[in-house]
Amino acid sequence: MKLYRPATILVGVLFVLLGGLTRLATPEQVFEEQNLEVVHGTIGEALKYGDSTVTITRMKFAKGVLEESGSDDDKPIETNGVYVALEWDTVRGIQKPSNTGAKLVADGGTVYEPIGGLTDSGIDFPEAGFAKTGAVVFEVNPTDLKGLTLQLRPSMFYNVLNSYVEVDLGIPSEDIAQQLVDGAEAQYVLQNPVVRVASS
Amino acid sequence: MESLDDVIDAMIADRVIHRHRRKWLIGIALVVVLALVVLATGGWKEKVGRTVPTLTAPATVESGKWEYNFTKAEIRVRKKSEYRDAEAELRVYFDLKNIDSEEQTSDSLQGKLLVFVPGGGQDYVDSNGADCRGELNWVIVYGLPPESCYTTFKVPADFTSDLVEIGVQGERYESDNGLLGADEDPYWHNERPDAVVQLKPAVVDVTEEDDK
Repeated sequence: MKLYRPATILVGVLFVLLGGLTRLATPEQVFEEQNLEVVHGTIGEALKYGDSTVTITRMKFAKGVLEESGSDDDKPIETNGVYVALEWDTVRGIQKPSNTGAKLVADGGTVYEPIGGLTDSGIDFPEAGFAKTGAVVFEVNPTDLKGLTLQLRPSMFYNVLNSYVEVDLGIPSEDIAQQLVDGAEAQYVLQNPVVRVASS
Repeated sequence: MESLDDVIDAMIADRVIHRHRRKWLIGIALVVVLALVVLATGGWKEKVGRTVPTLTAPATVESGKWEYNFTKAEIRVRKKSEYRDAEAELRVYFDLKNIDSEEQTSDSLQGKLLVFVPGGGQDYVDSNGADCRGELNWVIVYGLPPESCYTTFKVPADFTSDLVEIGVQGERYESDNGLLGADEDPYWHNERPDAVVQLKPAVVDVTEEDDK
């Protein structure tokens, strides 16, 4: 039996050409990662997270953290570093947004996770048609604060197109970081999250 | 149709097997006995005992992404009261520092990384993680000075000991085998024993006041 007939080779060449042609077509959008659309922003800007939005409204530095929902004789939790509290406002769209793993990344390469032990610290979304405000608290190293950025990265089970929010927290230099650390309050009171009807 | 040759072959084979049957049986019995003897004496594997260093508190141990400085241990005993059974727990105090220079990420200590080694062939007891600044599973930030923490092990109510041994397991920063389709980026996992720390526990009576 003749294996490589001219027709067979021709079909093979055709497939190779087709594969090359599809790569020539220009995509409408170019993503930094193939399945993540990165949304950059700053404090105060409403940022798209899927069809929901996230706004970081305020950043506070503090030397201690206390929960509003705690009992009267609770002492503030102290730190060797400094606490950064980010107050946020989320408006939920129709689709359920995936869970947000909030973390802070600094230019020095340190990654900060939200502190444990506080029940009301974290970023989440209310039911559709509602908006929510709350705060998330991080313990950070005062010597690595330059270029501090908040990242909201969805945790994905399936490989679908998702958006990924990056908020520049406006600490461009070591001096500004030092000023913020020096101006840290004695304690930050973590308010209970509040849900309200979203006004469109 | 069977030929005469086949019949003769079969007869000869039969004879041969019969002639040597006793030897065969003895041979097989010997192998079985040898296997039983090896099993009874503890198998082929040579017992090497503990291969990690044994340290005495106060001791500093670097293991995986954590640096521990073990200071003291307490056996906290709660006496039986009217509505409550007697309880005891083993509490080990240490300073904990995040030395994760690979990822530089804050994390809380996993309970399985510290184990209480009761000895005498008993199973290890996992800890409940690190309790620092009054919060269990406190997140330790990379680059900050050590936090003083303690961890708790469940022990029977009548537990007593002069010397407790705590095993420190360290994770390794390595990747999975990509041959099976796993992501080849390294991450912290595959914990292995790194050290054993011996501490002399003090016995502490716990009252209702201490709960507050």
